[in-house]
Amino acid sequence: MIPLKYNVRNLRVRWKTTLMTVLGTGLVVWSSCILFGLVEGLEHSLKVSGDPLDLIILRKGSSSETTGGFITATADEILNLSGIARDASGQALAAKELLNIPIATRTDGSTTNIIIRGVQPASRGLRPDFKIVAGRDFELGKGECIVSRSLSRRFRGAEIGGLLYFGEKEQYRVVGLFTAGGSAAESEVWCDLKDLEHNTGRDGSVSCVQLRAASSPDYNRLQQTLNDDPRFKLAAIPESVYFESQSRSSLFLKAAGTMIAILLTLGAMFSAANTMFAAVSARTREIGTMRAIGFSQFDILISFMGESLILCLMGGALGLLATIPLNALTYETSNLSNFASVSVSFRFGPLVAGVAIAMTLAMGLFGGMFPALRAVRLDVISALREL
Amino acid sequence: MQGIPSIQLRGVDKDYRRDEFTIPVLVGLDLTVPEGEFLALMGPSGSGKTTLLNLIAGLDRATSGEVLVHGQDLGLLSESEITRWRADNVGFIFQTYNLIPVLTAFENVELPLLLTKLSKRTRRQNVATALKIVGLEGREHHYPRQLSGGQEQRVAIARAIVTDPYLLVADEPTGDLDRGTATEILELLEQLNREFQKTIVMVTHDPLAAERASRILHLDKGRLVDDILQGARVSAASAS
Repeated sequence: MIPLKYNVRNLRVRWKTTLMTVLGTGLVVWSSCILFGLVEGLEHSLKVSGDPLDLIILRKGSSSETTGGFITATADEILNLSGIARDASGQALAAKELLNIPIATRTDGSTTNIIIRGVQPASRGLRPDFKIVAGRDFELGKGECIVSRSLSRRFRGAEIGGLLYFGEKEQYRVVGLFTAGGSAAESEVWCDLKDLEHNTGRDGSVSCVQLRAASSPDYNRLQQTLNDDPRFKLAAIPESVYFESQSRSSLFLKAAGTMIAILLTLGAMFSAANTMFAAVSARTREIGTMRAIGFSQFDILISFMGESLILCLMGGALGLLATIPLNALTYETSNLSNFASVSVSFRFGPLVAGVAIAMTLAMGLFGGMFPALRAVRLDVISALREL
Repeated sequence: MQGIPSIQLRGVDKDYRRDEFTIPVLVGLDLTVPEGEFLALMGPSGSGKTTLLNLIAGLDRATSGEVLVHGQDLGLLSESEITRWRADNVGFIFQTYNLIPVLTAFENVELPLLLTKLSKRTRRQNVATALKIVGLEGREHHYPRQLSGGQEQRVAIARAIVTDPYLLVADEPTGDLDRGTATEILELLEQLNREFQKTIVMVTHDPLAAERASRILHLDKGRLVDDILQGARVSAASAS
């Protein structure tokens, strides 16, 4: 086998071409990683579930919390059902929640919808890794709110001590910032359920009830009761199923991202192929010499394919390294079902790693294949005569 | 050692096709080269000497006739077999040295050994021996660009002999060198022929280089026209 140092040193000798190709492939991998990192972030935020025993209860026939409201009296009946899990203090893990989606002003002066969620104390335990990361939690009935950390950076008045103002009747003093394990709650403002009912004049109704069953049999029984009992006429949807249906909005982004990544990869393949064709042309006599002294066509094929792969692996590694600073990247999109602002954080997960590796391998192997085949097919005697 | 047939060509024709034209390069060539002979091939451009060298070295195939080297009919070998055969039996010396510029002298010489199953340690020893024979101890870590033309050709000769091949083929080995350096290279080839009994076939335009050989063959228009054996002139007919 032709030693690898032959390829590595050749890449080093023509370092300008190598650098250009590495930067090109790196840029392609990087841009695709950003796209898929954000798709993954969006999917993650919509998929994160507190517990497999969590249920979200909506009005029958509705597909989301914003259209799933029902009367408070029914919600209170749900809270009194048996089979609901309890937290360490003995409090039932079930909460009525009410959503309002007013228009908020971003720090740049533009406006968008934002989710204000009126919650009960148990709501916190129903979110994964709910944590107050700055300030304190709100006090009941005092017109206070807490804001997700990512949201606080982007909205006017959303910093601790600020006032979120949605008109004369609805305003909240921000007293703390929270995180919730990257879940959808990180795109929300939370306040006391009573305050929200009072401010919006929506006493007597809730958007949903969220609860956690005590056990698997309880989970099945609760689901059956809520779905089938004519008293309720509700839909008890597993939280994971609910968020999966919400995550369909990411499909478009994913499809567009895949298309862009494929096109970028094709472009980068041509770039890698161009570099490798130039390498083969410049080294025709070397190839002829190696064939003369006994290296086989297969040795030549492996050597040039390997060189192309090394070239693209360097680009891929560069592209991946460049994603490190993006871990702090958050972007804002809209939930297509309620047009509320959704904060999505860049997430380096299996999808991103898979895309980067697949693109790198595709660029390296397909970009190197035709130049390597050209090298293999060179006539030894003609190659030896090349200047 | 001399006298045993090393290379035998029987009725060898070699044609090249250019579009619809067939160009004969070698015509009905018969040749016997005894083992351990230092043979120089001379002739004007286009006479077929390099083609003959390529046939003997297994780089090209005869259109008809037989080429036997060390008893092996090269026409019977597949492409991969003849590649392997070259690695085992032939050492190549080129006019332009054909060293790999990104590899050091040591690594260039080691290259053919990478096709063997020798251990790294044995490879090192063999490379050191080859470099010593050509007088380049201490230059192992130099890249070709850091060597003179003569030194580059010495590295190329070391590469050609490192696997201890049966046959050395040299295509204008002194063509790019000044007279003094050329003489040194020719002396080295003579030494390899004399001390290590290597059969050498050398193509050259230079009569002074050819004089170093034990036998000189002149070709013209694809045919043997003269055969000079160490001072004694043999007719073209008796060469076959």
